[in-house]
Amino acid sequence: MSALVAGQVSVDPAEFTQVKYDANEIAAIVTSLAETLGVSNSISLIVDETTPLAKITCSIDAPSSDATIVIDAMSGAIENTKQLTTLGVNQTRTSVGRMLLRARDRMRADFADVDTDDELTLAESAAWDTYCAGRLARAGIEINTQRWRYNHRNRFGFSDAGDADFDRLWAADGLSWSEVVAGIAAD
Amino acid sequence: MRQFFPVEDLARDERFVQTNMAERLADTRDPMEPESKRKSAKSRSASNRLTPDRPDASDRARGLMHGIMVGEIQALEGAGRTAHDFEAGDGSGDTIPFELKLDMARQAWDEARHVEISAKLGDWMGTELGEFQENTVLFEAACSNDPVLRLAGVNRALEGLAIDVFTQMKEFGDLAGDPYLEFCEDWMLADEVTHVKMGSDWLRKVTEKDPDRRTKALEFQQVVDKLFSFGGARGDHEESSFKLARRFRELAGFTDGENDTINKLGVDAFNERNQAIKQARDAAAAFADA
Repeated sequence: MSALVAGQVSVDPAEFTQVKYDANEIAAIVTSLAETLGVSNSISLIVDETTPLAKITCSIDAPSSDATIVIDAMSGAIENTKQLTTLGVNQTRTSVGRMLLRARDRMRADFADVDTDDELTLAESAAWDTYCAGRLARAGIEINTQRWRYNHRNRFGFSDAGDADFDRLWAADGLSWSEVVAGIAAD
Repeated sequence: MRQFFPVEDLARDERFVQTNMAERLADTRDPMEPESKRKSAKSRSASNRLTPDRPDASDRARGLMHGIMVGEIQALEGAGRTAHDFEAGDGSGDTIPFELKLDMARQAWDEARHVEISAKLGDWMGTELGEFQENTVLFEAACSNDPVLRLAGVNRALEGLAIDVFTQMKEFGDLAGDPYLEFCEDWMLADEVTHVKMGSDWLRKVTEKDPDRRTKALEFQQVVDKLFSFGGARGDHEESSFKLARRFRELAGFTDGENDTINKLGVDAFNERNQAIKQARDAAAAFADA
């Protein structure tokens, strides 16, 4: 992987063979998204086109504000669900947007001890997704609130308490990690 | 009113995008997560089964629920066509018994209710109508000119698949604690068992004195069953997305032998698909090396 300058977005692979994705189009969407969210870090997006699964994770190379954000996405994470094997603009914004916000959270001191994305529990990951999706919606990204409410219910129960936790995270900004997962501790 | 409606002319608004089985099988990506990327044996796609402990459980459930909804639309269209396309008669030639027409009309009524239930479940799960591609393979099985082939293809193969899928979805709702999903799937499952039973009974009755026609119909059912295995997504094997709901299938008139055959068709389809994926991977690797 070549060194990135600040604000630069790289997409790997540069050419896709199993899906009809265009690396330049992806880079343009991510660049615009990062601007919308106020993320100025270098971003490296690696897409695994051999699987239609939708897993996406992110990491930062250092806990500093100028860290490079590395996003690993399976091709389904940025796929147009109406036209399989083609790129979904809104799916890309939603999936990568969540990762950019996670990465920005990780640069905060009160997220320093958070496990890697792969090591998070399902409940931790769901709580963080709710927190990120709510912020994306407020940033003007097209988000189906009910989709994320359903995801939250699957992890926190189909109950008033679970819904209250969803509403708290959805409306929040500037939370620490302990505040993000407060609903889990309360269980 | 027009008879024998081609799949291309199904009425859908601009929200829906359709695809077919050939396009789906041309997608050579591997739906199983590579072992090297799994966290544990319980990781995302160590198995393809839809269970709440998958990280992608809710999105997978939403996609499946949408697939069920468009399947219900097509089942409604198929049953309605069969009630209308053939004249009432003794079942020979292009005729069907009047009582069979009544059963098809009843099924159309059931399917219309299922469409409504499934659309509301989609709302509940956060899915928009048309959010996922619609595979028209179900209606294609309902386009035969022989009503007996439609019974085999739609009532036995298609509705048999519905029994497997609804059983799985009901279990998912139960395990996840989703009160509406579990309840609705249970009720729709009961209807599907009835639809398959109707198909089994009418197939036997209409072909009672025509063993060649029955054989042809059962062969057609196998072709459709293999298509409905979606590249091996259904069967008793661990990698399959849907397990055969053998008990409900028995209630619907499937014999153990028939269920074993469907399972074997699923394994064959799975192996064929794996071979295609391997070839695509090799081709991609060769492209990357060039």
